[in-house]
Amino acid sequence: MAMAAVPAVRSLLPRRPLGRGPGPRAGPGAALRPCSTRAGSRPLLERIIRVDHAGEFGANRIYAGQMAVLGRSSVAPLIQHMWNQEKEHLKKFNELMVAHRVRPTVLLPFWNVAGFVLGAGSALLGKKGAMACTVAVEESISEHYNNQIRTLIEEDPEKYKELLQVIKQFRDEEQEHHDIGLEHNAEATPAYSVLKTAIQLGCKAAIFLSERI
Amino acid sequence: MAAAGGLRRAGWRLWRGRAVVRCQQYPPLRALQASAALRGNSDEHKKEPWASSSQQHFDSPPAGHQPEEKPQGPHPSYTGPGGQESEDYESEEQLQHRILTAALEFVPEHGWTAEAIAEGAKTLGLSVAAAGLFHSDGSELILHFVSECNTKLSELLKKEQKLVQLGEAEKKPIDEFLKDAVEARLRMLIPYIEKWPQALSVLLLPRNIPSSLNLLTSMIDDIWHYAGDQSTDFNWYTRRAVLTGIYNTTELVMLQDSSPGFEDTWRFLANRVADAMTMSNTATQVQSTGEAVVQGLMGAAVTIKNLAGLNQRR
Repeated sequence: MAMAAVPAVRSLLPRRPLGRGPGPRAGPGAALRPCSTRAGSRPLLERIIRVDHAGEFGANRIYAGQMAVLGRSSVAPLIQHMWNQEKEHLKKFNELMVAHRVRPTVLLPFWNVAGFVLGAGSALLGKKGAMACTVAVEESISEHYNNQIRTLIEEDPEKYKELLQVIKQFRDEEQEHHDIGLEHNAEATPAYSVLKTAIQLGCKAAIFLSERI
Repeated sequence: MAAAGGLRRAGWRLWRGRAVVRCQQYPPLRALQASAALRGNSDEHKKEPWASSSQQHFDSPPAGHQPEEKPQGPHPSYTGPGGQESEDYESEEQLQHRILTAALEFVPEHGWTAEAIAEGAKTLGLSVAAAGLFHSDGSELILHFVSECNTKLSELLKKEQKLVQLGEAEKKPIDEFLKDAVEARLRMLIPYIEKWPQALSVLLLPRNIPSSLNLLTSMIDDIWHYAGDQSTDFNWYTRRAVLTGIYNTTELVMLQDSSPGFEDTWRFLANRVADAMTMSNTATQVQSTGEAVVQGLMGAAVTIKNLAGLNQRR
């Protein structure tokens, strides 16, 4: 117990919630503010909005890269249609981000370049390659959204009703893109499974990082 | 690691040498009967240990858990003297908040020290042993002060925003808004300006850095939020970094400013904000110039392809 006093040094400044808020010794005023549940739910909300924003931003760049290469081919209208939907998604998350005062991920410039390179690179493998990339990415994103929906429902479906609605709608549209990709011979791409695994690994890493930094 | 262990032992010996018992644990929201004990003990501050942890009130004191030279103090009952019970219920955090707020009055005289906290506790009618609740270097007092200033700033900015929304005030241009917000925040330091360098050095102690950094970043984010920043790209970081730089440098200038009413500081601040605006304008210009150049090159490439006959669709 004598040595236990030493950790008292650290415990004197209680652990700060990850989200923003008044300082550690803000006193009763902070606890009595309407967002008193901030300490628990705020980090979750921040993470979700941050990673989803990064995801839609990346998806935008992927389609931009694909259009840059295949912009004059027969699949161009299809890719353009999917790209337009992703733009809508990004706009929605931009709004949510501002409304909830969430910070964007630091890695945005990196996803900017990486997404474009992935899109352009997969398109250089041909139309089937572009579709394969779409399938891989959209499958990752659908799974990710499903996980988020599960988490939010477990937490508090009432509180997150609006967010749940948004995510469910977006998940359905991403699933649609996935199915479009499959319809257009994605699986006929040479080295399809290798490509798919590699892209999905990259997506998982991107999700992990964007949630945290 | 060994050095840390040695420091710990030395530190513990120092603590044991004090006549005040430190809290072993800090459950921030537990009902603190010690407030009653403190009021009761206000005349005997050095004579008995202040049994701080609420756990020790509910359990019988485990033998050997107290340092040997301190006799076990009397256990205040649940009701405490005068039958105080739920009416005087106050969480530990609230009590600390009150003590620290009261202590701020004595900072210009005593600095950010345990003496100031002790004086503050005395004005509240508590034992000066209350200073034992806190670190001897005044960390909590300083962090409390910074947090309170940030809260005041937020409220001020929110009020101003409401006035603008109601149409009773003009919306300020960004540079003026930032300048006013930083100036308002720095003016809160003026009563404590003599002792502020000491506070800054304490805030830079490794164990305080997470908290002080957190307070700084949330303040800067608040200012940008009320300035109307809605960026969702890397600009979010650039703007906050620039404003943090402006704030920190202006604070340092203020510390050694002896002009009347700190006018040198405010002039420095205005210049830095103007620099930042210029920089951002320049950045925008560079970007649009870059885009124009790229367009020009693309146009030249297409022209050359046309001239060389490579652009025909076969």
